[in-house]
Amino acid sequence: MDRRPNGEDGSRVKRQKTSATDMDPKANPYLAHMYQDDAPSSNGYANGYSSNSRQKTSALAKFSRHASTSVLAQAAEDGPNNPFTGQQLSQQYFNILKTRRNLPVHVQRDEFLQMYQKSQILVFVGETGSGKTTQIPQFILFDDLPHFQNKMVACTQPRRVAAMSVAQRVAQEMDVPLGEEVGYSIRFEDKTSSKTMLKYMTDGMLLREAMNDHDLTRYSTIILDEAHERTLATDILMGLLKEVALRRPDLKIVIMSATLDAQKFQRYFNDAPLLAVPGRTHPVEIFYTPEPERDYVEAALRTVLQIHATEPEGDILLFLTGEEEIEDACRKISLEADELIREADAGPMKVYPLYGTLPPAQQQRIFEPAPPPRTKDGRPGRKVIVSTNIAETSLTIDGIVYVVDPGFSKQKVYNPRIRVESLLVSPISKASAQQRAGRAGRTRPGKCFRLYTEAAFKKELIEQTYPEILRSNLASTVLELKKLGIDDLVHFDLMDPPAPETLMRALEELNYLACLDDEGELTHLGRLASEFPLDPALAVMLISSPEFYCSNEILSLTALLSVPQLFVRPASARKRADEMKDLFAHPDGDHLTMLNVYHAFKAPEAQNNPKQWCHDHFLSYRALQQADNVRLQLKRIMEREELELMSTPFEDKKYYENIRRALVSGFFMQVAKRDGSGKTYVTVKDEQNVLLHPSTVLGQDSEWVVYNEFVLTTKNYIRTVTAVKPEWLLDIAPTYYDLDTFKKGEVKTALTRTVEKMRRREAIKGGRK
Amino acid sequence: MAAEEEDDYMTFTVTDPQPTTKETSIQRRARLKREAEARSRPKPLSERLTDSAAARDAALSTSLDTSNKGFQMMAKLGYKAGATLGKSSDARAEPLGVVVKEDRGGIGLDSERKRKFREEVEGEAKRVKAEEGDYRERLRVEREEKRMEGQVVGAMKVAERLAGEGTEENGEQRESEQREEKAAEGEEHEATAGVKKKEPEHKPLKSVNVLWRGLLRHQLERERERRMRYDLHQSLSRLPTYEDPDEDEDDKRALGKDKTAVYEEELEEEDPELEAFNALPVAQRLEKLVRHLRNTHHYCFWCKYQYSDADMEGCPGITEEDHD
Repeated sequence: MDRRPNGEDGSRVKRQKTSATDMDPKANPYLAHMYQDDAPSSNGYANGYSSNSRQKTSALAKFSRHASTSVLAQAAEDGPNNPFTGQQLSQQYFNILKTRRNLPVHVQRDEFLQMYQKSQILVFVGETGSGKTTQIPQFILFDDLPHFQNKMVACTQPRRVAAMSVAQRVAQEMDVPLGEEVGYSIRFEDKTSSKTMLKYMTDGMLLREAMNDHDLTRYSTIILDEAHERTLATDILMGLLKEVALRRPDLKIVIMSATLDAQKFQRYFNDAPLLAVPGRTHPVEIFYTPEPERDYVEAALRTVLQIHATEPEGDILLFLTGEEEIEDACRKISLEADELIREADAGPMKVYPLYGTLPPAQQQRIFEPAPPPRTKDGRPGRKVIVSTNIAETSLTIDGIVYVVDPGFSKQKVYNPRIRVESLLVSPISKASAQQRAGRAGRTRPGKCFRLYTEAAFKKELIEQTYPEILRSNLASTVLELKKLGIDDLVHFDLMDPPAPETLMRALEELNYLACLDDEGELTHLGRLASEFPLDPALAVMLISSPEFYCSNEILSLTALLSVPQLFVRPASARKRADEMKDLFAHPDGDHLTMLNVYHAFKAPEAQNNPKQWCHDHFLSYRALQQADNVRLQLKRIMEREELELMSTPFEDKKYYENIRRALVSGFFMQVAKRDGSGKTYVTVKDEQNVLLHPSTVLGQDSEWVVYNEFVLTTKNYIRTVTAVKPEWLLDIAPTYYDLDTFKKGEVKTALTRTVEKMRRREAIKGGRK
Repeated sequence: MAAEEEDDYMTFTVTDPQPTTKETSIQRRARLKREAEARSRPKPLSERLTDSAAARDAALSTSLDTSNKGFQMMAKLGYKAGATLGKSSDARAEPLGVVVKEDRGGIGLDSERKRKFREEVEGEAKRVKAEEGDYRERLRVEREEKRMEGQVVGAMKVAERLAGEGTEENGEQRESEQREEKAAEGEEHEATAGVKKKEPEHKPLKSVNVLWRGLLRHQLERERERRMRYDLHQSLSRLPTYEDPDEDEDDKRALGKDKTAVYEEELEEEDPELEAFNALPVAQRLEKLVRHLRNTHHYCFWCKYQYSDADMEGCPGITEEDHD
């Protein structure tokens, strides 16, 4: 019934390549380490000494694996030559070494080594500031000596930025160039070499590697850092490592977490031993409000100003939920502070926003020192940072003494019943609240102002933030698990198994996308889709795009959909920004508009000075650059999988139509039909009333649209929409658009009418022949 | 009697577009204009928003069932409906709820408001007996009763609607001695044809379940009043019974005056059953209605949702507190 693979209307071609399973494993970059012996010239040790000779000359020669001590290791660290490279150590190295020896973890190095040597799985608990992320992997290097085994130590991080910056720091500490002995690997960027023995990576990357190497054979030790954050990938990895540990007794596993809930990890890993290192923190006094607040933002501003007016020197950290709220708060605080300075002779104040999509240069500004007093004996200046919860764990800002915590953050939610994945402002957990308070005690005793009552803290806040696995669409996870060789998804031992309906929905989606067959087995398409680090719908769209003669364009579009917001719309120049966006607007929708942007960006005119061009056109240079990079990576995968890259000639009147058809091939489950009455749309099958997001370029006259995102606010919105034709839906996704599966209603009626129309047209065509 | 003569056409269904007396072109034009106006007025945004929120909530409380393809794939791995995933004993059975925060109220604000309200109500019930005279206390009880009274009306409406959906055919069994009353009602229903569309065959008041009979009765009474006022207005501040010597039969018809008020009988009649029901405390009446909705229609008044089976899976319980 599914006519997708070989359409009859002749407008598509069959895919050239039909099998990826018989790909030469040596060509697979994920398996490169398995074949190193075949190509000795490429193993990086060719520059003078082989791994063998190095072993003799190195200070590590007398170490025996898994039997070293801290004394031994420290002697090696003291130089004069780098124990790993044999090079002379720099002065900077010794400077850093001094501070490293002052970190709390250093005291327990021996204790750690003994436990590490004794057991296969170890849970390590260290508060932020204990030095666990930078030091523990190095401790392990000296004991595990992975490079003598041709193996590596991996240390996962939930965030790309953390993986990069920690790798950078540790490379410095070990006095090696980043990307050689110490490297990192994140999605779309791999900075490692054959010399690499310590690899920081996102948890997602390790998961991808496991898909091609179920036993993770290239690693001798795997460290899961920040496990308490319970990202989706970390949870899956834990389930996986629990199984791998049985198959590979030689593999060591360290789970690192910030204090909370460590026993849960212990229990999950069959009562693995636990080592805790205290952080270096000062006491934080906590204040609650006597009554619940009517408006938490307003209360937050009031509190910040009050601190500024009455509390002694020390910087303030305020937690709010999102970019808009933060920018708005920054403006208001600055204005009010100016008044305080004029009228009450308060000290000067600098306010900085901090959120994920802020350009790095601006993010760096939060580390600038507080402003000096205006006069010599004037009141001291103060710095205020208004941040999302990225300042809760991942970023450490010294000098913070006051924390203002309204108790909310934006959290991802997913509900399989209406298939909506959205960021919603929600109350934080007790654990989060503790983390936030802890931020006040980094440099000296601090204060935390919670903008809720103590009773509310006790009764209303949940203990722990729900792990991501309970708040996510699992379609790509299921595909990954399948690829990881885990067939019994129902009984896979996860720390917090999601609701059955979430798995149900994921399996159903993958089945409609033809990635899983009715038995739940990976299809050829599914296997191919799992090669791409993309959502299944995007991957399927990309894989199908050659059938629609537009794989070049869909490749660009996929890259554009994988990066943050392209269009910049500063509050100060909304109108101008919208005018600029209109230059690129395509009447058929936002996807095509994005494509127009990309093509314009790649044109020589823009490439002369791309940064300026983006600035002039209110586009995010960073996002476009990133899209370029993503496109390149995806293109490589396409070439490897022999998916043809092609375009419909631009002059052809089907140029845009082909792209829109290809869109349908991946996103046929995200379609809405205009409601009879006009403005509102109804999503197909789930029958939710939605509005077009105000950012869309699409006019109101399109009856059927595909959308990229269902956004939940007080209203339901669909964002990034493009007009499609109902005939395409029926033609491209006949299984999903099997009319028998539709509830009675407007959508069904309209589709039935379309079917009849198509049949009539077919009959006329047949009659002519 | 005049009523007897008219008997025949009074048994027409109320939705019948044919009015019992032919309307004149003037009346018709007025009616069409009114109807067109009602149609053309777009639903206010607030209403549309509540519509979509309601649809969302309904979808959120409906679990995926065994017809789902994903379920069938899971079943092949030994999954049984109602079980949880994985190996741990405390795994989730239900997906996390979706709560859209609509204001900037701080943590604890909502529950504080609710708590205060509940305290008021509870303290109320205890104190009201002890200090009958306390004016403020009494006011509070009255406020709460008013709220529940509103809920009773809401529940009645639902019950009536659901009953209408279920048993439209039953209207055929009528008893002849109630014809007169029907006749009177039929007359009224012409005017309210729009309102009563769901009930093509009009039933005598007494055959309506006592649980929501009050609602219908109230509607009829209101209608009677409206008609009287309308007539008064039409006749330019004259009593409807006033006979203008200058008016001939045509004038009367044009002004709609020939449909004189004859709706009393049924409304005037005693209804001990309804009185007994109305005499019950409001909480008891509400409870009866809620129970009726659950037992007969698997409809939970608090979830505002009709479940597919008697298990009513997903409904936290029978009382409003359960749904807090």
